[in-house]
Amino acid sequence: MDINLSQQDLEFRTEVREFLSSNAYKNGEDYNAWRMGWFAKAREKGGWDVPKWPTEFGGPGWTPTQHYIWEQETAEIGTPFDLPFGLGMLAPVLMNYGSKEQQDRFLPDIRDRKVNWCQGYSEPGAGSDLANLKTKAELTDDGKHYIVNGTKIWTTLAHIADWIFCLTRTSDTGKKQEGITFLLFPMKQEGVEVKPIITLGGSHTVNMVHFTDVKVPVENRVGEQDKGWTYAKGLLQHERTGLAGISRSIVALEKLKEQATSVKRGNGTLMDDPAFRTKVAELEVDLMAVEFTELRSLAAAAGGGEPGPESSILKLKGTEIQQRIQKLTVEAGGIFSAAWGAMPVGPHFARGGMSGYLSSRAYTIYGGASEVQKDVVAKNVLGIKKSTK
Amino acid sequence: MNFDLSEEQQLVQDSVARFIQDNYDLEARQATVNGSDDFNKNHWATMAELGWLGLTLPEAHGGFGGNQIDAMVIMEQFGKGLVLEPFFASIVLGARAVSLAGSEDQCGKLLPGVIDGSRQLALGYAEEQARFDMHDVVTRAQAEGDGYVINGRKSMVQHGGTADQIIISARTSGGQSDTNGISLFIIDADTDGLTVTGFPTVDGLAAAEVELKDVSVGADALLGELDSGYKILEAVAIDGILAVCAEAVGAMEMLYKDTVEYTQEREQFDHPLADFQVLQHRMVEMFMEYEQCKSLLYRATLEVVQNGTEALRTVHALKHFVGKTGIFIGENAVQLHGGMGVTEELRIGHYFKRLLVIDAQFGNSDYHLQQFAA
Repeated sequence: MDINLSQQDLEFRTEVREFLSSNAYKNGEDYNAWRMGWFAKAREKGGWDVPKWPTEFGGPGWTPTQHYIWEQETAEIGTPFDLPFGLGMLAPVLMNYGSKEQQDRFLPDIRDRKVNWCQGYSEPGAGSDLANLKTKAELTDDGKHYIVNGTKIWTTLAHIADWIFCLTRTSDTGKKQEGITFLLFPMKQEGVEVKPIITLGGSHTVNMVHFTDVKVPVENRVGEQDKGWTYAKGLLQHERTGLAGISRSIVALEKLKEQATSVKRGNGTLMDDPAFRTKVAELEVDLMAVEFTELRSLAAAAGGGEPGPESSILKLKGTEIQQRIQKLTVEAGGIFSAAWGAMPVGPHFARGGMSGYLSSRAYTIYGGASEVQKDVVAKNVLGIKKSTK
Repeated sequence: MNFDLSEEQQLVQDSVARFIQDNYDLEARQATVNGSDDFNKNHWATMAELGWLGLTLPEAHGGFGGNQIDAMVIMEQFGKGLVLEPFFASIVLGARAVSLAGSEDQCGKLLPGVIDGSRQLALGYAEEQARFDMHDVVTRAQAEGDGYVINGRKSMVQHGGTADQIIISARTSGGQSDTNGISLFIIDADTDGLTVTGFPTVDGLAAAEVELKDVSVGADALLGELDSGYKILEAVAIDGILAVCAEAVGAMEMLYKDTVEYTQEREQFDHPLADFQVLQHRMVEMFMEYEQCKSLLYRATLEVVQNGTEALRTVHALKHFVGKTGIFIGENAVQLHGGMGVTEELRIGHYFKRLLVIDAQFGNSDYHLQQFAA
C-alpha cells in the first residue's frame, strides 16, 4: 500500500499546473477568443483538448491516475466552458460503433467545438425506464430515409444545439430493448420544434422537443438498425461515472466554509454555530471517504484490474454530496437566499445559492435516478437475483 | 499510489483468515465466552507461534518491526471472527506504549514475553469522571523516596483481569484536566494495594476495574518521561483507534454479506425477502457505508504511517464515521433478519454488540466529530 503519487505522476502534475496557470483567463480578455485559443494550445500539448479520447483519435492516452490529476487540477483552476454531449457522449459511440465516414464527418467538428450536440433520450413515457421509448422512425419505401415522429423531453440545451443524437423505435416486436435505432440529424430543420422547460432554479436549460415527419438519411444511422440500445447502454455507463464530481466538491466545500466564515453571528461567525458546524463536518467526512473510494477505484483501474464494487457507489454518493453542499450554501445565506433576481441584498453568495441548490435537485435524477442506481447495485454488486416467483 | 497488500501482508491475511475459518465459528466462540477463561489459551499460543504477536513490535526485541498497516490486516480478519484473545489490549495498546516510550531495560524485560505470549499487558487510561477525555485524570502518583505511591481507580481496562502488568496513567502534577502532568506507570498485577476486578463486557470480551490504594512502585516503573505521559497515550490511542476500526470494518463486511444471503433464503408472502425493493435498497446502503468505512480506514492508516500524529484529523474522521456506520449496519442487519435477528443463535447479533462497544472505545462518534470540527 502506498498513498503517494509516483515521481512520473508528480512531474505530470507540475506540467498540468504550469499549463493551466499560464493559460488562465485574464480579466478583460475576450472570452471566446481565449476559449478557442486555450483549446488550440491544449491540442498542441498532445491531445489535452480531448483528454478522454483514445490516442488513435488524437487523445493523450493518459493513465487513470493522470486523468485523476487532471480532474483535481482543473477543479482548482478551471477550463473553458465546454459541453459534454458531443465530446464525452456521442464521440465514444462513434469511435466504437460508427462507420469510418461518420467518424471523419463528425469527430473533427466536435473536437473543434464547432458543432453543438444534444442528447435525444428521455421521453414523456420513458424516464428511468428509458427502453420504453416510443419516438418512431420508419424507413421509407426506397430505403433511403427514416421518417421520425415523436417527442423527447429534458433535452439539455436543445435550443442551442446544431445536431441531435437520438434514440428511436424501429420495431415493436420482441423485448423493448430490441428495436431501438441510433440516429443523428440536424436540429435546425423543418419538423423539429423546441419548447423551453423552465426548471426550479429559474433557468432555461432543458426542453421538450417534438419531431413531425423529420427526414433522416439512412447514412446518419449509427451501427445497425434495432441495435441502438447496445450502443446507448455503454454511453450511459460512461455518463454515470463522470457525474460524481468529487474534485469539484472538494473545492466547493472549501468555498462554503469561507462563505460561512464571512457571515457574522454574535462575536463569531456562522462556522462557530454548533449545529451548522456539525453539518459541515459530517459532510466533509463523507467527502473524505468518497474521495478515497474514488482513489481505490482508480488504483484498481491503473493496476489493470477491473474496478471493484466500490466504484458503483461513486455517482450515488458524489451527487448526494454535491446537493448537501448546495443546501448548506442556502442555509448560510439565511433569509437573503430568498431574494430572487439581481437585487443586491445580503452576502454576495446568497444570490446564486438558491438557484444552485434548486438545480442540484436534478443531480440525483438524471443519468439514472438514485433509486435506479440502487437497483443496479443490488443486482450487479450484491448479486441479488429477482426470483422467478 | 496503490492499495494492494504486499506479498508478506497477503500471506499474513491468508493465514489469519484460515485461522478464523478453522477455529472461530459461532459455537466455538460462544463456548469460550461462556467458559471459565476470558479467552482460549491454545489460540493465544497459536497466535504467538505464527508470529502475529510480534508482527508490529520492534525487531530489536524479537518483533518484526511492522507498522499500522500490518495491524490493520490482522484486526480486520479478527473482526470477522470476533476474536476474544487479548491481541488488542496486550499488543496494540500495552506493548505499543512500552515500545514507544520504554527504556532499553523496560523493553528488554517486557517485550520478549509479550511476543512469545507468556506475558500479557493491559492499558488503564480511562476514569469514571473523564468520559472520553484521556487527560481528565484524578488518580494521583506522589513521589516518595526513590519511587511513587499511587492512589485512585482506572476503569474499563480491557483484558485487565488476565494481565501480568497494567500500564496506568496517573497525575503527577497540574490540574485534573491538564494534558501536562500526566505520567504512565507499569505496575505488576500482584503489587500490594492493587485490586483488579475482572468482569465480562457485552461483546463477549473482558474488562477490569483497577483500584490503587497506596500502591508503592520504584522509579523504574515510570514509563517515559515524568509529566509527559499524555503524548504517549495520544500516540497509542491513534493506533488503538485504527485497530478497532479495522476490526469494525471486518465485522461490517460480515453483517452486510450475511444479510444479503439471509434475505435471499428466507421467504415471506411467497417471495424471498430480497425480492422486496425496500430491503434491497437498505442493503445497498449498508454495502455503500461499509465501502466508505473501508476507504476512510485505508486513508487514515496510510496517513498515520506517513505522517504520524499529524494525521490526527483523519483519525477523528474515521472514528466518527465507523461509530455511526457500524451501528447503522448493525441495527439494519438485525432488522432485516426479523425475529431471528434478536436472538443469540445467529452471529449477526454478536457483530452488532461488538460494533456498539467499538463506538464507545476511545471516544464515540459524536466526540470525534466535535474533535474533527474543532
